[in-house]
Amino acid sequence: MPVVSANELQERPTALVSEGTHGLVIAAANAAAIAAGVGPSARFADARAICPQLQSVPHDPQGDAALLERLTRWSRRWGPWTALDGADGLLIDTTGSAHLFGGKQATIAQMLRSISQVGYSARAAMAPTAAAAWALARFGGDAQRSQSTPAICEADQITSALAPLPVAALRLDTPTVLLLKRLGLKTIGDLMAVPREGLVRRFRNRRDPAANPLIRLDQALGSAREAIPALETEPAQRAFARVAEPILHVAILLPVLETLSQQLSGSLRKRHRGARRLGFEAFRIDGHVARLEAELARPTRDPAHMTKLFAERLEGLEAGFGFDAFALTALWHEELDAAQPDLSGAVPDDALLASMIDRLVVRLGRHNVRLPQPRASHMPERSVVWVSAVEKLSLPRSRSKAAAARFNAKTPHQLPLPFHQRPLRLLDTPEPIAVLYITPDGVPRRFTWRRVQHEVIKVEGPERIAPEWWREKSTARLRDYYRVEDQAGARYWIYRGGLVGDGRGGAPDWYLHGLFA
Amino acid sequence: MPEREGPGKRTLKATRGDFAANPRAPFVELGLVSAFSFLRGASDAVDLVLRALEAGYDAIGMADINSMAGVVRLHVEAKEARLRPVIGCRIETTEGLAFLAYPQNRTAYGRLCALISAGRMATPDGAWQAKDICQITLAMLERHADGVQLILLPPDDLETEFTAERNSVPLPFRDGDGTVDPSSGANHLRLVHSAPLTATLDALLPQLIARLPSLRHIAASYLYRGDDIARIARIDAMARGHGLSILATNDVHYATPDRRPLQDVMTCIREKVLLRDAGYRLHANAERHLKSPAQMAALFALWPHAITAARGVADACAFSLDELHYEYPEDPIPLGLDPDQRLADLTWQGAHTHYPGGVPGKVVQLIDKELVLIGKLRIARYFLTIKDIVDFARAQDPPILCQGRGSAANSAVCFCLGITGVNPAEHEMLIERFISEERKEPPDIDVDFEHERREEVIQYIYRRYGRHRAGLCATVIHYRPRSAIREVGKVMGLSEDVTSALAGTIWGSWGSAVEEKRVDEAGLDLDDPLLRRVLKLTDQLIGMPRHLSQHVGGFILTQGPLTETVPIGNGAMPDRSFIEWDKDDIDALGILKVDVLALGMLSCIRKAFDLIDLHYGARFTLADVPREDARVYDMLCRADSVGVFQVESRAQMNMLPRLKPRLFYDLVIEVAIVRPGPIQGDMVHPYLKRRSGKETVAFPSPSPEHGPPDELERILKRTLGVPIFQEQAMKIALDAARFSAQEANQLRKAMATFRSRGMVTAHQDKMVGRMIARGYDAEFAHRCFDQIKGFGEYGFPESHAASFAHLVYISSWIKCHYPDVFCAALLNAQPMGFYAPAQIVRDAREHAVEVLAADVNESGWDNLLEARRDKKLCPLRLGFRQIDGLKEGDIARLLDARNSARFASVQELRERTGLGVPVLQRLAEADAFRSIGLDRRQALWEVRALKNVPDLPLFAAAAARDEGAEESAAALPPMALPEHVVADYQTTRLSLKAHPLSFLRAAYAARGFTRHDALKTVRDGRRVKVAGVVLIRQRPGSAKGVCFITLEDETGVSNLVIWPSVMERYRKIIMGARLMEVEGRVQRDESGDAPDVLHVVVEKLTDGSGGLLTLSEDLLSPKVARADHVKSPLPASVGRHPRNVSVLPKSRDFH
Repeated sequence: MPVVSANELQERPTALVSEGTHGLVIAAANAAAIAAGVGPSARFADARAICPQLQSVPHDPQGDAALLERLTRWSRRWGPWTALDGADGLLIDTTGSAHLFGGKQATIAQMLRSISQVGYSARAAMAPTAAAAWALARFGGDAQRSQSTPAICEADQITSALAPLPVAALRLDTPTVLLLKRLGLKTIGDLMAVPREGLVRRFRNRRDPAANPLIRLDQALGSAREAIPALETEPAQRAFARVAEPILHVAILLPVLETLSQQLSGSLRKRHRGARRLGFEAFRIDGHVARLEAELARPTRDPAHMTKLFAERLEGLEAGFGFDAFALTALWHEELDAAQPDLSGAVPDDALLASMIDRLVVRLGRHNVRLPQPRASHMPERSVVWVSAVEKLSLPRSRSKAAAARFNAKTPHQLPLPFHQRPLRLLDTPEPIAVLYITPDGVPRRFTWRRVQHEVIKVEGPERIAPEWWREKSTARLRDYYRVEDQAGARYWIYRGGLVGDGRGGAPDWYLHGLFA
Repeated sequence: MPEREGPGKRTLKATRGDFAANPRAPFVELGLVSAFSFLRGASDAVDLVLRALEAGYDAIGMADINSMAGVVRLHVEAKEARLRPVIGCRIETTEGLAFLAYPQNRTAYGRLCALISAGRMATPDGAWQAKDICQITLAMLERHADGVQLILLPPDDLETEFTAERNSVPLPFRDGDGTVDPSSGANHLRLVHSAPLTATLDALLPQLIARLPSLRHIAASYLYRGDDIARIARIDAMARGHGLSILATNDVHYATPDRRPLQDVMTCIREKVLLRDAGYRLHANAERHLKSPAQMAALFALWPHAITAARGVADACAFSLDELHYEYPEDPIPLGLDPDQRLADLTWQGAHTHYPGGVPGKVVQLIDKELVLIGKLRIARYFLTIKDIVDFARAQDPPILCQGRGSAANSAVCFCLGITGVNPAEHEMLIERFISEERKEPPDIDVDFEHERREEVIQYIYRRYGRHRAGLCATVIHYRPRSAIREVGKVMGLSEDVTSALAGTIWGSWGSAVEEKRVDEAGLDLDDPLLRRVLKLTDQLIGMPRHLSQHVGGFILTQGPLTETVPIGNGAMPDRSFIEWDKDDIDALGILKVDVLALGMLSCIRKAFDLIDLHYGARFTLADVPREDARVYDMLCRADSVGVFQVESRAQMNMLPRLKPRLFYDLVIEVAIVRPGPIQGDMVHPYLKRRSGKETVAFPSPSPEHGPPDELERILKRTLGVPIFQEQAMKIALDAARFSAQEANQLRKAMATFRSRGMVTAHQDKMVGRMIARGYDAEFAHRCFDQIKGFGEYGFPESHAASFAHLVYISSWIKCHYPDVFCAALLNAQPMGFYAPAQIVRDAREHAVEVLAADVNESGWDNLLEARRDKKLCPLRLGFRQIDGLKEGDIARLLDARNSARFASVQELRERTGLGVPVLQRLAEADAFRSIGLDRRQALWEVRALKNVPDLPLFAAAAARDEGAEESAAALPPMALPEHVVADYQTTRLSLKAHPLSFLRAAYAARGFTRHDALKTVRDGRRVKVAGVVLIRQRPGSAKGVCFITLEDETGVSNLVIWPSVMERYRKIIMGARLMEVEGRVQRDESGDAPDVLHVVVEKLTDGSGGLLTLSEDLLSPKVARADHVKSPLPASVGRHPRNVSVLPKSRDFH
C-alpha cells in the first residue's frame, strides 16, 4: 500500500529535496509538481528551471520511516500481522480476518477510507501472496481506477492478474528490468512464457532476489516462500495487584505501591528497559479509577525511586468505598542497560541528580524545574539559557551517538574565559547607574547605584562587546565592560553602552550588570 | 581567448587619480591579513591601502597566512597611493606557533618563499602535499629564518601549551641562578635527540630564541579584551626576561570596523556553521581594524617601545618587489652564445628551410625589422624558450602537433622558428603592433598542443627546468554573485528555497551585483531586514578572492630558482605545481609566461593527417596544406561547417553565408566578428553592409593641420573601416585620439572592467573630446567609442584570430576533401567541439560517407576507415569507443584474439578472449554481433547463457548434465526497428538504422507538418508546422531572455527562436520536452542574400514526447543546456555541454 503523497492540501508544486553529490536532488514531489513536469531523482536546480514556483521541503527519511512505522502499527486493526514494506508501503496479513469487516471488498474499501481520513492517499491491492499484492497495488491499472475499486485477486487468478503487468512489478532492480526489456520480456506474462530452464541458465548466478526474476516470479505466484519480518511492538510493562479487602485508608497503600514497584522493576530489568513515564491506577470498587502519572528525566527501574514518585501524592486520592485493585504501568520505556555501582555500592552522581529532579518535577511541575545551559555567545545575558530539566537531561540520550557527539562538539560548554572575568551573579536586567568618568572613553571614577554612591578604587577594562549585528537593530550599541572595586572592597561589573560619536544615540549610558563575590 | 574571471579586479588605478604621500608616521602596522588569507581577512589590498592612506601611514605591511598571494596587489596599490609596501607573511607552524615574518632583503625574501614552497610541496614526512595545504614546522622555519625578522604572535590564552621537537642546537647552559655565562664556551649542553618538549610559551621561549636568532620581538595587541593592560604587561615582562621587546600590532583583519559583519560571515563559511551557532568562533568586537598611528600610540602609551619597535622592523625591511629581476632561463642557449645571435641564426636557418626557393624580399625585411626590435627589448631568450618547447613536441614520436598564437606569435620570426604556421609571405604581419618599445609589456605567445598529449609537454617542462624553476600561473577564483549569495544565505540561515530564488535571479553569473529589481521579481520582500543584510553582505563578498586555482597552462620559467621568487604549491591534479600569483600579478612585475594550452582540434587534425597518410598516401603538416582552395571556401559559404574549428556554432553558421569568405583574411574576420564584443558594439551589420557594397567604405579624416588624412584608413582598411579587433581600438585611441602609450594602456585595462565598474565616462570624455578637437565628426567619435566599449572583456585580438583562422582553414580543408577522414578523426578526438557524435555521423553520411556499425569482427577501439572500394570515399567503421561503458583494455584483448581468426559464435568469442559476461553483455546490447548473425536480442540471450567464470573441461561436462543442454532456442519476441533505434541511442548515442522521427513521419505528414529539408523552400513569413527531437536548448546571457532551440528530424535540423512572452507560456514544454511540435512563422534573414539562414519564430508549442514513448517506453528527458556559445568558452559549472546531451536517454526507467 504505497503512500503516494504526504500532503495534498497544498496545491502549490512542492518537492521533498535531499542533499545529493551535485546539489539538491528531488526525493519526492506532490501531484501539482508532477503535473508541472517535475519528478523524483531530478536535480532541484533543473526542476526549478522547468517550474520556477516549485517550493522545496527538506526530505526527512527518518521521519518518514517513523511515520510509516506508526501507520503500520495502527493498521494492525485489520489483521494481526503487519509489516513495513520499503520506504513507502506496508503489508497487512488479512488471512482469516477479512470477514470481520464484511468481506474482502469491504475491508479494503475501509482501509482506503480510513487512511484518507488520516490525510494520506494510498493505493491498495489484496492478493494471496505479498509479492502479488505489491505488484497489483503499484502496477495494477491506472491510478483513478485503483482508488475507487481496488484490485482484489483470488488464488486462482494470480497468473492472469499478473501476466499483463510490466516486469518491474516483480520488485526487480533497474539493470535487471532493463535487461529483460532488451530481451523483449516486457511483461510478467512474457516471462512466464519462456521455458524455465532457459531462464535458470541465464540467471543462475543471481542470488539476490531483486536481480533474479525467477525467484521473484515464484514468490509472486506463491510457489516459493518469502520471509517477511513482522513489525515488532514493545508491550507496555505493567504490574497488577488485587487486595482481598478494599483499602479505605490511603496510608495503607504504600506497601501495595512498593510491591508493584518491585514487580515492575523486575519485569523491566528482564527486558533491559527503564521507565520514562509511569502511571499508577487505583481501581475503586464503585468502578471509579484514580490515576496518577509521573515523568522521569532519565529511564529508571529503581523500585524505591518509583515508589517515591507516587508516595507523596497518594494522599490526594479519594478512597470512597475503597480500592480493591492497583496497577503500575511503564507507559513509556526506553532501553536501559544494567549499570554497575562502584565498589562502595554507591550509585553514580548523575543518577542522584536525576532522581532529585524527578522528585522536584513531580512536586513543582515539569516547566518549573529548569537548568542553566551554557550557550556560545559573547553577550553575557545570552550566554546562558534556561531549559526544562527533564528535557535537558534527556537530550543526548534521545539522539544517536553520532548526533550526540556532534551536539556536544557544536556547543562548547565551557566559556573560553578565565574564571575571574565574569561575575558570579548576573542581573537579569542591567540597572542604570550614574557614573563619573572622563569623556569620551575614560575609566569610571565614581558611580551611584540604588542611591548609594561608590568610589571606584580599582578598575580593569574595558572589555568591549559589540552587538550581535545579525539579530539586533542597527542602532544597538556596543558595551564597554569594566570590573570595578569600590572603597568597601565590593566588586561590580558595570558597562558603558555605546561610545561618544558612534552615531547610535546621544551620550553613552552606564549600567550595572553583575556582582562579583 | 579571454578567460572568464568573474567580476573585474578592483584597482586604484581605475578608480582614483593622484594621491599625496603621507609624512613619516611613528608607527607601521605589520600584523595585517588581507583577503588572500582566505576567509580570514575581509578587506582587499585596495581597501587596506586607502584606509592606511587616510589614517596617515607612510608605509604598510602585509602578512597573509603562509602565503605571498596578495603581496603583488599590495605592492601595486601601495605604490599607486605612494605608500611604501612592506612585504612579509605570517608563518603558522604545525606546532601551533605563529610568527610575523618580514624579510630584510631580497635573499631573505627568497628564503621565505622557499620556506612556504617547501611547506606547500611536501608534507613534513616528504610525501606529495595536497592542494591548499601548507605545513611548516619549526625546524623548517629555523633553516630559512636568516635575515627574516620574526615577531612571535602569542596565543590568546598565554597558558596554552605547545609541543615542539627539540633539536640539536647547542643551548647555553644556565647557572643555578638562571643567568647565562657568555664567556665560557665549554658549558654548552648539546641536545642530540630527546623527547619533544611540551610547555607554555614562557617556558618554550629560550628554545625558540636559541633556534631562531632573528626572533627579536613578541607581538602585543590591545583588542579590548578586558584584561589588555595586564596581558600586555605580562607579555612585556616575558619579552624583557628573554632579552626581547614587544611590538605593537592590531592584528588587523579588515580595513574599517564596518567590515566586521563580513568577517563574521567569512568565519562561518570557513567553519561551516550558521551565524547564530557560531558563538565564540566570532570575534567579540570590531577592534581588529586598521587603526591610525595616533590611535595605536595612544593605546600603547604605557609601552612606547612597542610602537618604535614596529617602526624599526618596517624600516629594517628594505625589500621591495621591484627587486625581483626576472631572468629568462639560459638553458635553451648553448653555452657562451649570445641569445640575439642565436635567435638570428635559427631564424635564418628556418627561413631557408621554409622558402627553399629563396626567402622573399618582404620576409627578409620583416625578419630584419623584428630581430632589431627583439634585440632592443632583450627578449630573444623568450623566443628561444618557446622554440625549445615546440621543438620538444615536434621531436616526439609521433610528433605532437602545436601552433602558437598571441601577440608576439604572428611574426616572421615565429614562422621561421616553426612556432606558427601563418606564412608571412602571404599575410600581413603585425608584430610591432603588439611589441612596441613604448609599451613596456612582456610579449605574449600562447602555444596550443593536442589536448590528449599536452601533459607530456607539461611534464617535459617540469623535467627540463625542475619544479623549483618552473611553475604554472595561478588563477584567483573570486566570489561571483551566485556563489556569494549562496554562501551568505546559507550562513545567515535562509532556507534553500530563498537562496536559490535569490541566486536564480541571475541567469548567468555575469552581473557583478545582485540587482534589487530582480530580487523583487522573484517574489521576495526587500523590506525584510534579514534579506537586506544578506544582500548587503553579498555585495561585499562579491569579488573577494575565494581560493587559488591553477591557470590552464601559463608557465613561468626562470633562470634562478623560482621558489625564491614566489611560493609554489601543489595543484589538485597530480604532478602539477603552481605559483601563488596570477597573470595580472606577473604582468605587474614584468615576468614572462609561456602559455601551454590544450586544443582538441589539434588532436583531431593530427589524427586526420595520419588517416590521410594511411588511406590516401599523402602526408600533410599544418604548414603545407594547400592554401586558398576555392572549394573549401565554397563549402564554408554554404555554412556546411559541422565539426569545423570555431565556425561550427549556430551563430557562426548564420554568419558564414552572409560574410561569404573567399580569402584567408575573411576567415580571420569571421572568427573575430561573431563574438560578444563586436556583436554588442554593433559592428556586425555595418561590416556586412560595407562588404556587400550597400554602404560605401569611407574613412573620416582629422583636420588637415592635425595629421595625415589617412591615419584611420591605415588602421581600419583591412576591416572596411569597422573596428573589429582589440588592437584596432587601441590604435584608434593612439592615433586618432592621441592617447599616450600609458593612457592607451589604461584604456586597455579599463576595457576589461567597463561593464562591471562603470568607468566609462572618464575615458569617454577624454577620447571623444580629443577626437573632436582634432577635427573628427562628433557623431563618428561617439560611435567609435561605443564600439570600443562594446568590446568589454570579450574583444578578440587579431593575432589570435589569425592563428585560429589557420585552424579553421585546415579543418575545413580536411572536411571538404576527406569527409570520411574528418568524421573519423573528429569522433576519435571526442569529447571536443560543439556537436555530439550523432550529428557528426549524420553530417558525414550527408557527405556520402558510408558509416558502418560497430561489430566484434570488424571494429577497433578507435573509429576506423576501411579499405576504399572503386575510388570512392573510405567507409567509416564505428569503433568500440563509441559504445558506452567499454574499457580500452578489454577491447585490446578482444582485438588480440581476433588477430588469428574471426569469431564465429558468442561462445567462441568468450573462450578465446576470456572477457567477462558484463563486457559481452555491453557488446550485445550495442548490437555488435551482427557479423555472427545475431541481432541485439538474440546476442543478449546467448551472452546471458554464458558463465562468468570459464569452466574447466571436467566441470563443463558435469554442468551440462546438471542443467541439461538447451533444447531449443527460446522464441523471444522479435525486436522491432523503433526499439532497436532507441536501444542504439541508449548504448552508442546514435543510430545508423533510422531516425526516431522517421517512425512518426506518416502521422505528422497527415497532420500537415513540414519536414526540415522542405523548410528551405518555404518563403519568409509563411506559417509552418514542424516537429523534431530537441538537440540543443540555449538561453544566451546576451540575448535578453530569448531562447534558441535546435530541433532535428530525419531530414535535417531547424532552428527555433522563442521570444520571452512565448517562453513564459510554454516554459514547461521548452524545458522538459524531448520532442516538440511547433507552429510558427518562417523568418529569413536578408532574403535572397543568404537562402540558408532561416529560423522558425515559435507561436505555439506542443509536447510530442508521447509519440516517442510509443517507440519504446524507456526514455528520459534531456537536460537543459544553459550553454552560451557566443560567449565561449562555456562555463564549466553550469549545465552541461550540448554535445553531452543525449537526444534519447541512457538506460533508465520511469514509471
